[in-house]
Amino acid sequence: MNRDRALLLGYLVAVVAASLVHDAWLLATGLVLVLASAGGRAGPLAWRVLRATGPYLAAVAAGWLGLAMLAGPGGSEGAAGPALARLALRVLLLAALAFRVLPAVSLARALSFSRTLRYVLVLAMSQLLAFRRLFGDFRLALTARTPRRVGPRTAVRHGAATAAWFLRRAEHDAGTLTQALEARGFFLDRD
Amino acid sequence: MHIPDGFIAPQVYGPAYGVAGVLWAAGLRRLRRTLEPSVMPRLAVVTAAAYVLMLVAIPLPGGTTAHITGVGMLAALFGAWQAFLSLSLVFLIQALALGDGGVTSLPVNALCVGLGGGLAARAGLLLRPRAVGVFAAGWLGAAVPALLVALVLGWQPHLARDGAGQPLYFPFGWQLTVPAIVLPHLLVGIADGAVALAAWRALGRGTP
Repeated sequence: MNRDRALLLGYLVAVVAASLVHDAWLLATGLVLVLASAGGRAGPLAWRVLRATGPYLAAVAAGWLGLAMLAGPGGSEGAAGPALARLALRVLLLAALAFRVLPAVSLARALSFSRTLRYVLVLAMSQLLAFRRLFGDFRLALTARTPRRVGPRTAVRHGAATAAWFLRRAEHDAGTLTQALEARGFFLDRD
Repeated sequence: MHIPDGFIAPQVYGPAYGVAGVLWAAGLRRLRRTLEPSVMPRLAVVTAAAYVLMLVAIPLPGGTTAHITGVGMLAALFGAWQAFLSLSLVFLIQALALGDGGVTSLPVNALCVGLGGGLAARAGLLLRPRAVGVFAAGWLGAAVPALLVALVLGWQPHLARDGAGQPLYFPFGWQLTVPAIVLPHLLVGIADGAVALAAWRALGRGTP
């Protein structure tokens, strides 16, 4: 087993384990250990985790507060604090694990046991990153060419034009990639 | 609308992996049955397009914006199976490479958004005239996954509780998840439908 596959497997086992642990102290310890393992990068890692999970956790906390206020002092929501702390710690731990471990994993090498899966993922990733950059350019172009705030009508027209462009581009790229792979004999010995 | 890691109980994500695994294998077999070499490159590139469609933002009243799901458009143009597989790949890439979404919620997201949304969009496409069908496909592709996600999330407190009776995973039941998730997506669905219709017109009304 190569290093990347071992790391990915270790990450998956840790995720399942974290989803089975219900002790808030254990989850907090796990979170501290993951952050500490980042060394000098612990601060930026914690900030990234908070940014990624903050909206979800804030929505859950707001919902809980709303229910507690509706239920009044006698409601059972008042006792839900530890449960919400446990949920928040689990979500933070899982996000920290993902941001700590996954950047060190080469997906192409970790998934090398299946040539098809590796090839589809690598192709999809390469296209996705290129498409994302182009999408950003399109959005900047819309902002630059619109003197006022973009309204719903303009946004729908721009969204539709962008979607149509990317769908046409996807069709074209699929054809080009197929020809390139065919020319290199890829489909002769596909698993 | 997709669910992050930590909200779903193992009693749900375990079986969901089983069901999704069978459907992934069936979907791939179905796509490969065409024996066209372009099947896999097409899957990869449509996956990238599916990811980009999710980035399209429409301003909503009140100064906020909503991201369309693009599920209806994908299902209308490429079929429900392709939409399911492409969105599954998007969720896999988001979970493992982009640090978004999650591994435990992946099969639930794929089944609710990819399969549920894809099938609902194909059903909407049966409506006539064709323009109404395309709009309905876009709307249903946002509304139906929202309902399915709300039902799955609202199920969590009924499934797993600690000794004190407090939920171990997502804490709110259906009475909160259904209105909180579905109502905004009825509005997002209108944007989804409008973009699907306009994109269909821009593509020259060739497909679907």
